[in-house]
Amino acid sequence: MDNDLVKLLVQGVWADANPNAESQVVLLQDEDKSAALPIWVGIAEGTAIRLAVEGIAPPRPLSHDLLRNLTEHLGLKVSKVVVTDLKSNTYFASIYLSSPQSEVTIDSRPSDAIALALRTRSPIYATREVLDKQPPEAVDPWLKRLHSKESGGTA
Amino acid sequence: MTQMEVRGLMFDPYTNAYIVILRDDGNTEMLPIWVGKPEAHAISRAIEGTPEERPMTHDLMKTVLDTADAKVISVVVTDLKENTYYAKIHLSYGDSEYSVDSRPSDAIALALRAQAPIFVTDEVLQKQSTEQFDRWLENLKPEDFGKYEA
Repeated sequence: MDNDLVKLLVQGVWADANPNAESQVVLLQDEDKSAALPIWVGIAEGTAIRLAVEGIAPPRPLSHDLLRNLTEHLGLKVSKVVVTDLKSNTYFASIYLSSPQSEVTIDSRPSDAIALALRTRSPIYATREVLDKQPPEAVDPWLKRLHSKESGGTA
Repeated sequence: MTQMEVRGLMFDPYTNAYIVILRDDGNTEMLPIWVGKPEAHAISRAIEGTPEERPMTHDLMKTVLDTADAKVISVVVTDLKENTYYAKIHLSYGDSEYSVDSRPSDAIALALRAQAPIFVTDEVLQKQSTEQFDRWLENLKPEDFGKYEA
């Protein structure tokens, strides 16, 4: 499984093109910028991710800050998060939690996994299989958009 | 401290936010707390017991606790400062107990999933005034009800 994991970085969070949609798009890209993974998330998750990317700490802990605080209090380390599957337009993810005694994998939405990973500075991966499973028409517009910016630019 | 329960969840068309109504057993105390839509949904799902297809953020919190064999002893709404409520989540884990700072909305959403009691300190009950809420209620027109999905 390790050989099939592709490390990803969060490039940015965009509002959905449809202004009435209650969703945002989180764009992940691999390190050599050959693959992209756009994930649609709710506004709360999108905001949580954007705040983490921009390094903004809100005055009161938001849900994902609490999630991170709980894992820390319990001595659990987020060793990595992985986007593991795509089924019927739904992405699946796993959060790998480790304690001195064991490692446990928790089923999660990618949005929560990413929002948590950014707060714990844990690496984010997707399986090669998931990256390949995406329909090109979902990914290409984002690849184009990213390449049209300065390299390494974020939204 | 007074133990309270979630007795209502309403949409506030003026702020586009939601109001969680906490009441005590004897119906002598009432605490309205304004929360955002995602927290309102998390609370609503826990009350209705309708499972989502995929784990939502507060389900994930509960799973993390279960994984570590940690229990939520209680949540307490501890303070009200400049219109912001503060809460603490009391956990037991191994031989230790921890208090984790939280927004009341998250604390309540988690407490409902953990079947843990919700308390409000006397200080908060004294500090908050139901005047504002009563005025808000009086200003609501009948057509405001049922217009929005909570």
